[in-house]
Amino acid sequence: MNMRRLATAALALALPLAVAAPAHAREAAGGDGKGYVRLAHLSPDTPEVDVHLKALSGTMKEQVFRGVGYGVMSAYLALPVGGYEVGMAPSKPPGSPVILTTLVTVEPGGAYTVAGVGKYADLGLRVLRDDLSMPPGDQAKVRVIQASVQAPVLGVSLPDGQTIADNVAFATTTAYQTVRPGTFNLVIHPANGRSDTGVQADLAAGNVYSLLILDGAAGALKTELRTDATRDGVVPAGGVATGAGGLAGSGAWPLYGGAALLVLVAAGAAWGIRRRLKTL
Amino acid sequence: MNRRSRARLAVAALAAVAALAAGGAAGLVRAGLARQVPFVGWLAGPARPGELPVGAPGGTGPRRLRIAAIGVDSPLEALHLDHTGALQAPVEYAEAGWFADGTVPGDAGPAVIAGHIDSRLGRAVFYELSRLRAGDAVEVQRGDAWLRFVVTATGRYAKTAFPTHAVYGPTPDAQLRLITCGGTFDRAEGSYVDNFVVYATLARTTSGQG
Repeated sequence: MNMRRLATAALALALPLAVAAPAHAREAAGGDGKGYVRLAHLSPDTPEVDVHLKALSGTMKEQVFRGVGYGVMSAYLALPVGGYEVGMAPSKPPGSPVILTTLVTVEPGGAYTVAGVGKYADLGLRVLRDDLSMPPGDQAKVRVIQASVQAPVLGVSLPDGQTIADNVAFATTTAYQTVRPGTFNLVIHPANGRSDTGVQADLAAGNVYSLLILDGAAGALKTELRTDATRDGVVPAGGVATGAGGLAGSGAWPLYGGAALLVLVAAGAAWGIRRRLKTL
Repeated sequence: MNRRSRARLAVAALAAVAALAAGGAAGLVRAGLARQVPFVGWLAGPARPGELPVGAPGGTGPRRLRIAAIGVDSPLEALHLDHTGALQAPVEYAEAGWFADGTVPGDAGPAVIAGHIDSRLGRAVFYELSRLRAGDAVEVQRGDAWLRFVVTATGRYAKTAFPTHAVYGPTPDAQLRLITCGGTFDRAEGSYVDNFVVYATLARTTSGQG
């Protein structure tokens, strides 16, 4: 093999080393593609219903939740983004047709409560927009879903007088109120002069709640504090330092480049020796 | 041996050495300088003697992480916040760690597991995390049961614009976030500029209670 070929071969060996760098992590796409939907029966004088949930795209088998009574609110269902039809049918007699429907459009990261509200005579299905996002600071977030007809307008406050909700009418929901975390005796005062009702609520930092107010037995109010979204502990600040750079492109370059240089130097030396041989 | 053949021999030897050096250097880089940072699949093993159990007293915290799609099988360190309030990284490059002062994996809320993408010398436990796609399974052992999470989304973010609400915000269901580094490496800072996050939701337990 002549020297020129050897030098070329050495160069050929060096070049791939010089250009072959470790593969960098491919940028991954984000996108959640899901939202949350829950179903509720909030009509005091409507008997038990069967709730039907159907995807308009037909990609999901129709789901039926049977025997849902007044005050029952399901857990959130994670559903793919898209349109859905919610229908309600009386549970009895079995096989009763759906009497009410509504459409709900699930957006990425959105959360919705689809509730049968109002008295039986004006029963309607309403889509409540929920907000499960993190409360600011280290606070909690709470809103009132008013489903009592006995106290058709009411207010809710903290013991120190801070208002959670005011003049909340039947079959409506309030905006979210941000409150400091802790255990509170919430006070519900009906506007019609009926006596106040107290409810003990444990509101944890970073959590989102709905306070459901319902008609109870014997003219009393019944309340249910639902944790809509939860988290535990302190929120870390920022991201995480989870890499020391050993495989970052710029890190390996000196090693690859050095190896390439070594080969080039060796090839050059070999060529130089050959030249000297020729002149001998 | 005459001068010419000695010279030829020298040339051949030089070429051989050069080729060996080039191959050796490449091999060293690929192996991550071998034994100091073994590839994660080889490192799986029991906790070191004397190591405290992770999680709450009674050992209800998560013990192990398994991601079949990228060959991860690692015990879980317990991670806490450092003095600046940021989440610590695991001590071992070949091990992942869970944020032990946050949601426990399997409970409702956002549980967090972090792992290094590389050490100074080579690959680390989450080197291939960015290859995960929606639908891949992530398993966490808690007690005797393996909890199965399914990847729903991934994202890469600049650390200066870390999506705290998306990663640490409250959720209605049991969720998991896996975090490692990505993007370019800032040599002056000694850290990567991005974080890569995998979001997953609890599917079901595969065995045992819970």
